[in-house]
Amino acid sequence: MPLSQPQTKRAEGVPVTSCWNCKGAVSGTHFCGACGKIQPLPAGMDYFAFFGLPRKLTIEPAALDGQFHMLSWKLHPDNFVRASEFERNLSLQRSSELNDAYRTLREPLSRVEYLLEFLNVRKEGTTKQQAPPELLEEVFELNEWLDELRETRTSGGEVALLRGRLDAAAGNFQAKLTEVDAELAALGAQWDAALDSGADEAKRTALLTRMSEVLNRRSYIRNLVDGVQQEIAAA
Amino acid sequence: MAYSEKVIEHYNNPRNVGSLDKADPNVGTGLVGAPECGDVMKLQMKVNPTTRVIEEAKFKTFGCGSAIASSSLATEWVKGKTVEEALAIKNTDIVRELALPPVKIHCSVLAEDAIKAALGDWKKKQGEPEAAKTVEAASAH
Repeated sequence: MPLSQPQTKRAEGVPVTSCWNCKGAVSGTHFCGACGKIQPLPAGMDYFAFFGLPRKLTIEPAALDGQFHMLSWKLHPDNFVRASEFERNLSLQRSSELNDAYRTLREPLSRVEYLLEFLNVRKEGTTKQQAPPELLEEVFELNEWLDELRETRTSGGEVALLRGRLDAAAGNFQAKLTEVDAELAALGAQWDAALDSGADEAKRTALLTRMSEVLNRRSYIRNLVDGVQQEIAAA
Repeated sequence: MAYSEKVIEHYNNPRNVGSLDKADPNVGTGLVGAPECGDVMKLQMKVNPTTRVIEEAKFKTFGCGSAIASSSLATEWVKGKTVEEALAIKNTDIVRELALPPVKIHCSVLAEDAIKAALGDWKKKQGEPEAAKTVEAASAH
């Protein structure tokens, strides 16, 4: 999918549709500018555009919260009790979409995952998920210790030493997670800067691809740390 | 999720579990992993440098039943084959043999990757150029 050029005034991904009621042109607003009627979600509108935001990864939480509260008040079903059934349903639907959009954008991690998903960089099951090769040896060793821990526990042996080793390994991977998060944040800042400077598509695609790779690494390490912590807790 | 009988059979009686001497110049080691599920698979093969026949194969896999079955099957299949024959094994062959459901296809991809990695390592040790990396896993999904 080609990335449209960033615009300063209006957020990207806002198609122009016509109002279901008065047929006037509606662009990116939740209500028709002419007749004021609530509008269905325009096809292809992304969560950033939903809040009138550019597709940047740095979002001021207070600004997002403010938009969310304003919109939830405007789209709230209570405002439509005397409206037509069509509008009542729209209000319900739009309110639930609003909650999804807010939840997704509020967390930096789900925000970047969402950006990559709707720009088709990352799709569940289609991207080749490769473990970080530099970590494989450590991961394998860690798994061998976990096996040993389970066996020792079953046979009633002394697990203290193994637990200590695993604790240290988990701490080591936890530190790597922090590194990965910092890397992701740095790439996010580069992405925002690229949008601001109107960087070309190749540069933007390269950044998105790198973010996707970092996310792969992150999820790998996250699973690992979770698994080790569970085992330690059970030992 | 229900596993096929063949997966359960390999899971309960995994073939060729263990390891070979990593330092042996005739032993190729392949270590691969999948981030989403956290599976790691180590596949080792001892190859006769004259006949290029795989004489021994061992694996150790940390992962789900399908990953274990895929690597167990892979070691069975490569034994007695030449390097070239083993490299021709496709993940889809494993999927078919084990009747893997779509969500477990990545396990078979991992096994194919492990065969290629192990034989690549062997070739490197033998001073042969490693074949161009063939990563066409996306087509398997």
